[in-house]
Amino acid sequence: MTADPQLSKVSTIPVGPLHVALEEPMYFRIDVDGEDVTGVDINAGHVHRGVEYLTMKRTMTQNVVLTERICSLCSNSHPETFVMAAEVIAGITIPDRAAYLRVVAAEVKRVASHLFNVAILAHLTGYEMLFMHVMQVREVAQDLKETVFGNRMDLAAMCIGGVRYNLDAEMTAYMLGALDKLEPEVQSIIKTYKTNGSILRRTRGVGVIAKDEAIAVGCVGPVARAAGIDYDVRVVAPYAAYDKLRVPVPVMKDGDVWSRAMVRLYEVAHSIQILRECLKDMPGGAINLGERPDIPAGRAVAKCEAPRGELIYYLKTNGEEIPERVKWRVPSFMNWDALHFMFKGAKIADIAIIVNSIDPCVSCTER
Amino acid sequence: MTTRLPTDIEARLAAAAPGGIEFSSEKNTFGVTIAWCGLAQAADLAGVAKLLVDVGARLSMISGLQPPAPPEAEEEEEEDEAEESDDAVKAEPEEKPAPTTFGGTALDGTTYEINYHFDVGGDTLTVVAYAPHEGSVPSLTPYFRPASWPEREIMEMYAVTFDGHPDPRRLFIDQSIDKAVLERLIPYSTLVNAASTKDLWDRVLAGKGGNS
Repeated sequence: MTADPQLSKVSTIPVGPLHVALEEPMYFRIDVDGEDVTGVDINAGHVHRGVEYLTMKRTMTQNVVLTERICSLCSNSHPETFVMAAEVIAGITIPDRAAYLRVVAAEVKRVASHLFNVAILAHLTGYEMLFMHVMQVREVAQDLKETVFGNRMDLAAMCIGGVRYNLDAEMTAYMLGALDKLEPEVQSIIKTYKTNGSILRRTRGVGVIAKDEAIAVGCVGPVARAAGIDYDVRVVAPYAAYDKLRVPVPVMKDGDVWSRAMVRLYEVAHSIQILRECLKDMPGGAINLGERPDIPAGRAVAKCEAPRGELIYYLKTNGEEIPERVKWRVPSFMNWDALHFMFKGAKIADIAIIVNSIDPCVSCTER
Repeated sequence: MTTRLPTDIEARLAAAAPGGIEFSSEKNTFGVTIAWCGLAQAADLAGVAKLLVDVGARLSMISGLQPPAPPEAEEEEEEDEAEESDDAVKAEPEEKPAPTTFGGTALDGTTYEINYHFDVGGDTLTVVAYAPHEGSVPSLTPYFRPASWPEREIMEMYAVTFDGHPDPRRLFIDQSIDKAVLERLIPYSTLVNAASTKDLWDRVLAGKGGNS
C-alpha cells in the first residue's frame, strides 16, 4: 500500500470538555485511525477553583466544612482524612463509638458512590432500563443518608476528635431495615452485570490495563484491584474501626471495564456486611471529645480508602488556628494516566465507557 | 504486595543520600509506620528515588509549600541566652545566623519545601527536599511515572522547576497566566474573567442612549 499523506486516515478529534457522555468537563484530544484510537492527550483545568489556596485562609474547624465541599460523591472522605491528619498532630485518640460511626458514614457513601458509577455504565451502553433500575436501588442509600444525616450528599459527619452525629435505637433499626431492602437488590444487580449480553459485549475485554502497567501508573482503588493489585487502605493501613472489622478485598485480574464494574458491585455487597457488623458491634460512649481541641504545630500525613481509592492528606500547622499548608491527592488524580493504556486499540464508541470506568472525579482532581 | 517499609531503611537512605539525612519514624496504634526523611541536598533525590524503586515504593503524592520565616519571637530568646551566657561579649560581634532549613537553604519565607509521599505496602515514607526561590530540584518522573502531574502542578503554583521533566507543560492553569499563582491573591472576578470596571458600565449606559 502506498502511504499518501493526503489520504492519511489518521486524524485528531476532540472529546469534551463538554460532552454528552461525560458528567464533568475534561478535554481529550484523541488521535484516531479510522475507528481505532491511536493516541490521547488529556487537557485538564476546566474546574480549577483554587480550593487549596482557600484552605490556607480558613481555620481548622472551617476547613472540616470546606473540604467536604471539594467533591460530591466522596464528600465524606475529605473531612474524614483531614481530621485524621489533625488528630495525628494533636495526638488525639478518638472514642471507640466515634471510630465505628466514622466507618458507618464512609461505607454508606461507598454504597451510593459505586452504585452511581455502575448505573452510568448501563446508561452509556444504552441500557436505560438497567440504568433507571440501579439508580432506583441507589435511592435506598440516598434515603438512608437523608434520614440519618439530614442530607443526600454532604453528611457533615466528621469533626476533629470524633463525629457530629449519633445513632439511637430507632435509627439503627431503620438502617438495618434499609440494608435488608438493599441487599437482595444488589445481589440481583450483580447477577445481571455478570450475565447480561448487552453489558458483557460492551465491557468485556474493553479498556484493558495490565497489572504491571497499573503499578507503573500508580493506580488506586477499584481500578487497581480490577487489574490484580491487592491493595485497600482499609486493610493495609487501617484507621477508624477497620482493624476490628472484616473487610474483604475483591481482586480481579482482567483489568477491563467489566472487571472494574464488578469490583465496585462486590464492594457494595461487602459494604452492606460491614455496615451490619458495625451496627451490631457499636460500642457505647462519647461520640467526640466534647470540645474543640487546639492543634499544636506539626506535620502529618493521613490516608483513607475513599470510594475511588486511596485519598491522602498532608497537613502542616504552626500552632495557629489557620493551617500553614493543606494538600491532598484524590484517587482520580492517579487514575487519569491509566487512560493512556486503556485507550490503546480502543474504538471511538468505547471512549465514554472507558472514561467512566475509572470513575473519574474532575472537581476532586483539579480542586 | 504486602512488603512493608524495610527495617534498615534509615541506613539505606543514608547511603543513598551522601549529603546527609534527617530521619524519624514511628508506628501508630494500628501498626502502620509513618517515616520522614529530610534531605540536606536536593540533588540526592535521584539516588533516593533509585533506592525507593528497588524497595517497591509507590509515589503517592507530592506536596509543595513555602514555609514562612520563623517568627520574631526567636530573637528575644537568643538575647536572653546571650545575657545569661558568660561568653556574651565574645558572641556579640558575630552576626546572628539567618534561619535555615535542614541542609542550609535560607528560611526567609521564599524557600520551598517539597514533600514526596511514598507508600510502601501501607506504610508512608515522606522525603523532604528544599529549594530556593526560582531554584530547581531533579524531576522524579523518570523514576516514578506518577510524579509527572504533581510536578507540573507545583511548577505552575510556585517559582520552582523540576529539572529533567519530560513534559513540563502547564497542568491546570492556562499558559497566559503568570507563574507562581499560589503566592499571590487572584481576585475571583479576575479568575473567572468577569472583572468589570466603571468604563464598561459607562459604555453600557451610553449604548442605551444613556442619560447617566
